[in-house]
Amino acid sequence: MKKALEGSRKRFFAELFPAIIMAAILVPIYFILPSKMMASEILIMAIPTLAFILLLGYTGLLNFGTGSLFAVGAYTAGILLARHNVHVLLAIIAGVVMSGIISIIMGYFCIKRGGLIFALLTLAFNQLIWFIIWQWKSFTGGPDGIWGIKREALNLGIFSINLKPTFNFYIFVLIFFILIFFFLRRLIESPFGKVLMGMRESELRATAIGYNPETYKWIAFIIGGLICGLGGTLFALHQEYVGEHLANWFTSGEFVIMALLGGTFVLPGALIGSGVFIFLADFLNRFAVLSKAGAWLLVLGAIFIVVVMFLRGGIYGGVEKAYELFRRK
Amino acid sequence: MINIDAILPQVFNGIQFGVLMALLATGLSLIFGMLGIINFAHGSLYMLGAYFVWTCVQMLDLPGNFWLGLVLTLPLMAVVGLVLERFLLHRMYGQPVVYQILITFGLLLVIQQGVALIYGTTPLPLGMPPSFEGEISLGLFRYPVYRLFTMVLGLAIISAVWFFIERSALGAIIRASAEDPETAKTLGINTRTVYTWTFALGSALAGLGGGLHAPLIGGLQHPIGTEILLICFIVVVIGGMGSIRGALLGGIILGVVRGLAGVFWAPASDFVMFAAMGIILMVRPQGLLGREATR
Repeated sequence: MKKALEGSRKRFFAELFPAIIMAAILVPIYFILPSKMMASEILIMAIPTLAFILLLGYTGLLNFGTGSLFAVGAYTAGILLARHNVHVLLAIIAGVVMSGIISIIMGYFCIKRGGLIFALLTLAFNQLIWFIIWQWKSFTGGPDGIWGIKREALNLGIFSINLKPTFNFYIFVLIFFILIFFFLRRLIESPFGKVLMGMRESELRATAIGYNPETYKWIAFIIGGLICGLGGTLFALHQEYVGEHLANWFTSGEFVIMALLGGTFVLPGALIGSGVFIFLADFLNRFAVLSKAGAWLLVLGAIFIVVVMFLRGGIYGGVEKAYELFRRK
Repeated sequence: MINIDAILPQVFNGIQFGVLMALLATGLSLIFGMLGIINFAHGSLYMLGAYFVWTCVQMLDLPGNFWLGLVLTLPLMAVVGLVLERFLLHRMYGQPVVYQILITFGLLLVIQQGVALIYGTTPLPLGMPPSFEGEISLGLFRYPVYRLFTMVLGLAIISAVWFFIERSALGAIIRASAEDPETAKTLGINTRTVYTWTFALGSALAGLGGGLHAPLIGGLQHPIGTEILLICFIVVVIGGMGSIRGALLGGIILGVVRGLAGVFWAPASDFVMFAAMGIILMVRPQGLLGREATR
């Protein structure tokens, strides 16, 4: 028992150091970015992308349902904050739990089949959830969405922090991001993560050793769902508004693009991907021609095709490859 | 109490919609069954077909401009398909399905947003072709002529494609190239060319479906392709991947279920489609008449 505690303490400190470094890098980035809103948005969008990477990069499942789970979190938190005036942390927890419940159901049906069928089923579920949000006007506001979400003081009993200033909110989001990031890092290094990766390589072999792939996939899916929900709740706070488009499968597609751009097989890929995506969106929208009719997506789509064709590891993988070539010389 | 007079036209509308979706799903299914490619850009090809017909009607001041546009979509979309296959998609053969989905998803973005850039985002209305505006009596009820026409034409084309693939000599070559490329090659079949033309055929069907559907949509907008894509997937999943008869059966089932749901509670019509797909995938994952992808 004592030894185990010792070990877990050791592991905790082993993660603490890189976490501090990460924070030290990410805090100044806030001041570099052209728009202050953008900084929090990059971190928030990176959170569901992390979940997507856990599923595609480490488990081999292409999830087109990320957007709907994200939206479930956002709507739950949004409704609680706007109409019932609950505590911010409580709203976040409720959003995460709600997404968790939905992902338990969704996962149960989707993980039975891999590959194409998984992708199509998650897509169908995604549209189902979007459809419910769209139709249930009295509860979700339908096409109008949820207005009046207030990002105010976060009261922690002994002291309270005002979340309204963008920098305060950025730090608030950063704490969640780092927690999730290092939780996933540990998860992937854990025996559980190894089993996931083993199943990605050969499900047959994993089954032969005695692991039940369905259970593992299901758990991975639920973990992903919880993380997506967290991202959603933070997004509701960030925008102070929730719209039905969040649940549409195009939002899922955006997370797919982010993950592929950044690097699908490594966790930092999520941050790189969401950073590049949001930065590019902001940059391209500065041109009047491209901001009209959302044509910046055209440029993004073209970049995406090139990445899928020639750079499967995304930007992270590309840099890694370039570095290796450089070192060999 | 809902009377039969209200239900029958809805069921008919459902079948008509289902046949049109089956026409699109036939193309999707053909590409999947023969090439093993799952094409997320199929809906975008449908959209291109619809916009092309719209452009023809606007640009050409001829009496039969709609029909000319409709006929011309076939070769035009075939060429689009040829180009896509030659330059992009042929690299995806035998790749993990995930990457096929991703690359065709990228293609969908490019085509859809390209159309939005050229045509703008406001809905573009396209009226019924002249002399097809009225209704015709079908005994129990009156039915729009154009809808009836799309149903008949759709059925004829699906049957023709089925006959071509399953019964003709060229169809045998396509099936052989899909089932056993190595043997087909040793028999002197250029499988590369066969795949390219099969993809072109699938694209042409998508374009034709778009052109036929265009007057019924109300107003053309660039996201129509993605909406239709989802319905097409449902049809293909219900009917069975890679089966033409399955696509037709799936389309009709989906159309009728959707039409009936619309009679009782309109918002449920989309819901039941997804529910039907979910149930089929749980009970019979290969679809009602499905066969496994051969490549």
